[in-house]
Amino acid sequence: MRKGKLLAVVGAAALATAGLASAAEPDGRVLFKEYCKPCHAANSPHGEVTPMTLIQDQWERFFKEKLVPSHKELVDSNHGGKKVLDVITPEMLQKIKKFAIDHAADSEHPMTCG
Amino acid sequence: MRTITAVVASVGLLAGAAHAKEYSHQKYFEHYEGTKTCLKCHEKEATTFFHSQHYQWLGQAPQIVNSHGEKLGKLNTINDFCTNPQSNWIGLVRNSRGEVLTKGCSQCHAGLGALPQAKISQAQLENIDCLICHASGYQRDLYQNPDGSWSWKPVLWKNQEGMDSVSKRIGLPTRTNCLRCHAGSGGGPNFKRGDLEYALADTDKAFDVHMGSDGANLQCTDCHAGEDHRVRGRGSDLSGTDDPAKPLSCDDANCHGAAPHKAEVLNFHAQRVYCTTCHVPVFAKQDATDMVRDWSKPSYNAELDKWSATITMGKDVVPVYAWYNGTTWEQLPGQPVKRLAGGAVGMMMPQGDRNDPKARIFPFKLHRAKMPVLDGKNFIIPIVVEEFFANGNIDEAVKHAALDTYGVKDAHYTWTDTERYMGIFHEVTPAAKALACLDCHAPGGRLDWKALGYAGDPILAHLQPAHTVK
Ligand code: HEC
Ligand code: HEC
Ligand code: HEC
Ligand code: HEC
Ligand code: HEC
Ligand code: HEC
Ligand code: HEC
Repeated sequence: MRKGKLLAVVGAAALATAGLASAAEPDGRVLFKEYCKPCHAANSPHGEVTPMTLIQDQWERFFKEKLVPSHKELVDSNHGGKKVLDVITPEMLQKIKKFAIDHAADSEHPMTCG
Repeated sequence: MRTITAVVASVGLLAGAAHAKEYSHQKYFEHYEGTKTCLKCHEKEATTFFHSQHYQWLGQAPQIVNSHGEKLGKLNTINDFCTNPQSNWIGLVRNSRGEVLTKGCSQCHAGLGALPQAKISQAQLENIDCLICHASGYQRDLYQNPDGSWSWKPVLWKNQEGMDSVSKRIGLPTRTNCLRCHAGSGGGPNFKRGDLEYALADTDKAFDVHMGSDGANLQCTDCHAGEDHRVRGRGSDLSGTDDPAKPLSCDDANCHGAAPHKAEVLNFHAQRVYCTTCHVPVFAKQDATDMVRDWSKPSYNAELDKWSATITMGKDVVPVYAWYNGTTWEQLPGQPVKRLAGGAVGMMMPQGDRNDPKARIFPFKLHRAKMPVLDGKNFIIPIVVEEFFANGNIDEAVKHAALDTYGVKDAHYTWTDTERYMGIFHEVTPAAKALACLDCHAPGGRLDWKALGYAGDPILAHLQPAHTVK
C-alpha cells in the first residue's frame, strides 16, 4: 500500500516540480550528497554510487523500477534512523533524479557528487 | 542528449527489436571488451589510425623549414604551454589535500595510456581509443592498475551493461568529439588555441558562421576529414602534417575559391590578405585564452591548492598580423636558440614577407612565454610540469627536464622570453561584421604598415592625387 502511494506521488511530482523549486532550496547535487552518498561513498559495503556510475537509461530504470524495492526496508542512520524512503520527499527525489541523469556516465558532463 | 534518452526509454517499453534500431552498431557485437572488439571488423582502419599524426604524435614536417627531413610532432618538440609530454605522460598528481591536479599529457592522446611506438603490434592497435572520436556519450578517466601502472578506461568500465550501450553508439566524429581534446588543450578551456572553444559544440552563426547550428552547422570533419585517418590542415604552429599533399584553406576550389566576393576590391585584397584576417576580427569570444605564460614565476592558487605558471589571459582578443607563406621556422630541442630582433626566442615563426609572392597577411594569436634555456649549449629546456603543479618547485622541475631531455645533471639555465605565432582560422563572424576599409586604412588602424614592409598605408597613394586635383 505504502509503495503504491509513494510511486503515485513521484509520478505527479515529475509533472509539476520543474517550476516549483525556489532558489533557496538545496539542489540535486546537495541532496544526493546528503541522502545517497553516506551509504554509497567509495569503498562503501553497499557499492560506490555517483551519477556517473550509470548511464541515463539505467538511471531512468532505477528510479522507475528499482529504488523502491531495493531501498524500502533500509533505515537511514544519518537521519534519525527513519526509513530511507520516509526521509526523502518525492520533490527531493525528483531533483536527485535530474542531477543523476544530467551527470550520468553518458551525459556531456559526467560527475561524481563531490 | 535528452531527446535521445526520451526516445530510447519509450521505445524500450515497446520491444527489444525496435530498441536495436537506435544505435548503428547494435547488432555488430554483444559485449564490448575494449578496442579488440572493434578490431574484429576494423583492423584496416585501426592500422591507418596507428600511422596518423593523431596516434604517433610524429609525422612528416615539410612545412617546417628547418626540419631537414625529420619526422616531427608533439613527442619530440617543445612548446611554451605544457612543454613536452615525455616526462609528463601519465599518472595522477595530487595536491596536499589529496585532490587530483593533473593526469598527464596522454589525456590528449587517442590511446589508452601506452606511449605510441613506431612499430605496429597487436598491443599498439589495442591501445587505440576509437571511442573517444566515434562514440557519443563515451567518457574516460585515468585508473591505476593492480601493478601500479596507469590506464585510461571508460568511466563505465565496471558497468558492462552501460559500456555495451555506449560502445554501440558509433558514428563519424562530431564537434563534441573533436573538442574533447582541442578545446581543453594547454591546460584549461580554450587556453591554447583561442579560436577552438567548447562553445563551438553548440553555438549560433553569430559566433561562428560555419559551425553555428542555425548557420552551416558544419562538423569539424566537414573541413578536416581526409582519407585513412589523415586529417587535413595543420595551421601555422604544429610541427607534423598528416597529409601535406592535401592542405586545407578557405579558398580551396570546392569551398570558396580565390575570388568569392562580388566587390572586385575585396577579391583584389584576398590576393595579399588571407581570408580570416578580415573575417575573424576577434577570437576567444566566450572563454578567455592564455596569452602570456611565465614559467619563471610560480603562482599558487590557494583555492585549488595548485601551483601553475603565471598566466595572463585575454578575452575578445584582436589578432596580430604577419606575412605567412605556409611554412614555419621552429625552435627545435637540441638546436641553439635563435633570437629575434627584440631578444626573444621565436618558437614558431611564420615565414614570408611582402616580396614573397606566396605570402599573405594572416591573423595570429601571438603567445608569449618565459622558458628556460640551458647555459652553454643554448637549448630550450622543457619542464616536468606534473610535479611542479603539486610542489611549486620550478627549479627542480627544470633540472629534472634537463636531465630527461639532454642528460645534463644539475643544469644551469637562464629564463628567456619566447614568442609563438598561432594562426587563427575558426570563429568566422558573419560577413556583415567582417573588417571594413577603415579598420585597416585609417590612422591607428589594425595594420602596422611599416612592420609589414610598406612605406605607409598604400591607400594614401590613391587619395593624395585626388586631393591635389580638388
Ligand atoms: C541507508 C543506506 C542507503 C541509502 C541512504 C541509499 N542507499 Fe542505495 N543502496 C543501499 C543498499 C543496501 C543497496 C543494495 C545493495 C545490494 O543490493 O547489494 C543499494 C543499492 C543502490 C543501487 C544499486 C542497486 C540497484 O537497485 O540497481 C543504486 C543505484 C543506489 N542504491 C542508489 C541510491 C541513491 C540514488 C540513493 C539516494 C536517493 C541511495 N541509493 C540511498 C543503501 C542505501
Ligand atoms: C561485426 C563487425 C563490426 C564490429 C565488431 C564493429 N564494426 Fe564498425 N562498422 C561495421 C560495418 C559493417 C560498418 C559499415 C556500415 C555501418 O555504418 O553500419 C561499420 C562502420 C563503422 C564506422 C563508420 C560509421 C559511419 O557512420 O560512417 C565507424 C566509425 C566504426 N564502424 C567504428 C567501430 C568501432 C569504434 C567499433 C568498436 C566499438 C566497431 N566499429 C565495431 C562493422 C563492425
Ligand atoms: C582522433 C579521432 C579518431 C580516432 C581516435 C579514430 N578515428 Fe576513425 N575516423 C575519424 C575521422 C575524422 C574519420 C573520417 C575521415 C577518415 O576516414 O579519415 C574516421 C573514419 C572512420 C571509419 C569510416 C571509414 C570510411 O571509409 O568511411 C571507420 C570504420 C573508423 N574511422 C574506425 C575507427 C576505429 C576502428 C578506430 C580505433 C582503432 C578509430 N576509427 C579511431 C577519426 C578518428
Ligand atoms: C570551415 C572549415 C573549418 C571547420 C568547420 C573547422 N576548421 Fe579547423 N581549420 C580550418 C582551416 C582552414 C585551418 C588552417 C589549415 C592550415 O592552414 O593548415 C584549420 C586549422 C585547424 C587546426 C590546426 C591548428 C590551428 O588552429 O591552427 C586544428 C587543430 C583544427 N583546425 C581543429 C578543428 C576542430 C577541432 C574543429 C571543430 C570544432 C574545426 N577545426 C573546425 C578550417 C576549419
Ligand atoms: C584524443 C585527443 C584528440 C582528439 C579526440 C582529436 N584530436 Fe586532433 N589533435 C590532437 C593532438 C594532440 C594533435 C597534435 C599532434 C601533434 O602535433 O603531434 C592534434 C592535431 C590535429 C590537427 C593538426 C594535424 C596536423 O597534421 O598537424 C588537426 C587538423 C586536428 N587535430 C583535428 C581534429 C579533428 C577534426 C578531430 C575530431 C575528428 C580531432 N582532431 C580529434 C588531439 C586530438
Ligand atoms: C579585405 C578584407 C577581406 C578579405 C581579405 C576577404 N574578405 Fe570576404 N568579405 C569581406 C567583406 C567586407 C564582406 C562583406 C561584403 C558585403 O557585405 O558586401 C565579405 C564577404 C564574404 C563572403 C560573403 C559573400 C556574400 O556575397 O555574402 C564570403 C563567403 C567571403 N567574404 C569569403 C572570403 C574568402 C574565402 C576570402 C579569402 C579568399 C575572403 N573572403 C577575403 C572582406 C574580406
Ligand atoms: C585587413 C586590412 C584591410 C582592409 C579591411 C582593407 N584593406 Fe585595403 N589594403 C590592405 C593591404 C594590406 C593593402 C596592400 C596590398 C598589396 O600589397 O597589394 C591594401 C591596399 C589597398 C589599396 C591600394 C591598392 C594599390 O594599388 O596599392 C586600396 C585602394 C585599398 N586597399 C582600398 C581598400 C578598400 C576600399 C577597402 C574596403 C572595401 C579596404 N581596402 C579594406 C589592407 C586592408
